[in-house]
Amino acid sequence: MNKSRPVYTPFAIDTAARFHLIITDQAAPPPAEDLPRENFEAWVVKTVAPGVQAQQAGPVRAFRAVPEMLTHLKHRLARETVGLRLYAVGSEAFLWDVHNLARAEGLAAEEIKLHQAGPKLRRVYCTHCKTMIENAALNVIACPGCGASLFVRDHFSRRLAAFMGVKIDAEAPGEPFVPEPFET
Amino acid sequence: MKLRITAIEPLSPTIRRFTLGSGGPLPPGAAGAHVIVEIPGPNRVWKNAYSLAGTPGDTAQYEIIVRRVEASRGGSAWLHDHAALGDELDVSTPQNLFPIIRTAPHHLLLSAGIGVTPFLAYRRALATPYTLHHCCRPEDEAAFAKLLEPARNVHIHTSRNALNLTRLLTTQKLNTQLYVCGPEGFMEDVLDVALRAGWPASKIHKESFGGATGGAPFTVRLERSRRDIHVGPDETLLEALEAAGLAPPCLCRGGACGECELKVLDGVPDHRDHFLSAAARAGNAAIMTCVSRAKTPSLVLDF
Repeated sequence: MNKSRPVYTPFAIDTAARFHLIITDQAAPPPAEDLPRENFEAWVVKTVAPGVQAQQAGPVRAFRAVPEMLTHLKHRLARETVGLRLYAVGSEAFLWDVHNLARAEGLAAEEIKLHQAGPKLRRVYCTHCKTMIENAALNVIACPGCGASLFVRDHFSRRLAAFMGVKIDAEAPGEPFVPEPFET
Repeated sequence: MKLRITAIEPLSPTIRRFTLGSGGPLPPGAAGAHVIVEIPGPNRVWKNAYSLAGTPGDTAQYEIIVRRVEASRGGSAWLHDHAALGDELDVSTPQNLFPIIRTAPHHLLLSAGIGVTPFLAYRRALATPYTLHHCCRPEDEAAFAKLLEPARNVHIHTSRNALNLTRLLTTQKLNTQLYVCGPEGFMEDVLDVALRAGWPASKIHKESFGGATGGAPFTVRLERSRRDIHVGPDETLLEALEAAGLAPPCLCRGGACGECELKVLDGVPDHRDHFLSAAARAGNAAIMTCVSRAKTPSLVLDF
């Protein structure tokens, strides 16, 4: 097991909670059979055509984009009471953005459940110029901040919610390298 | 440490405050810390844990507040009936198993009866806002009102204005830490309501002393020491082991810290501690000697 990578479990409801808030960067919440029957809300991200109202279906609430959803989450948590469980479902970077925001609002680690879903794209942190690069699909990418060719290490920072990208030929300049897609 | 009783102040017919000092500097105890006081009895020595109720970090003196327990195992009765100014007592260095969570922006303190003592120290140390709810018998209200000086965030409850635990524990902001100290029944009520309200274990902090209430006598066989020890109805397993000249591990003597855990090889323990998980209790493979007893006439322990 790689100790530099968090381990995620399949989505499951914590029955000890009084209320459940499920938030995802996907267009749909987890399947209905996995959701609680009552006392829950599910927040999703749905891009809609200009002029079309996002559909609101019962406890499912749609947001236009992740940043909008996270802003609402911060305000919501400031009003919430102990007894809530927060579930984040989505990309690894999204999970830890949610986690870090929720911890700052007073949730303990055991009140936050993280479940990875969707394509295996990575957010990469350039360790040389501190630029964040979203949705990297290959393990070698060019940093848009400093132009360095970065090797994306299998090392995830929970604090930054990003993988570490380091200059690929830092040890041996000019050494060739074949990029590969991520498997996990 | 040998400390002398330098002041005795009755707060009610059954509650007294003792000040202890040595003349020289004492090791400081932070808010929530307790000391073990050795109390000489006619036939044996009692070792009781008392929270430090004075100013946290005070190196000049310790303050403890002692209730005379009706079914007293002996210690509190001696302190009430026989202890006099100038008497010397053996007192341990302070241990803290109930510290303030310094990173939390809000604290909810719930106490009952004499369980308020650690919170007297908390109140002088808390840097962030807190709310204290204290429950007591109507006849003790005046004594606790004098100790607590009720304010907008400090409330005393008796049977006349009982505390609504469910409403309290379902309306706390996410950044609240819960601290509970009091007798067994009160602790169980609060923990039960908190769990049903969805509180996570990491936000609940508890301290319970005087949980050792005695019970049916039983025998323990110590497998490694090759000894059979009889545990009487009004002594704890730990006290019986100590009386037999053994030095088993122990720290809080209140079933909270887990230090005194011994392996159970045979027999069924009567778990009375706050340390073992439900699964560990059901497994019956471990016992906290300071408070727990036996459901079977004998136990075999790995010691």
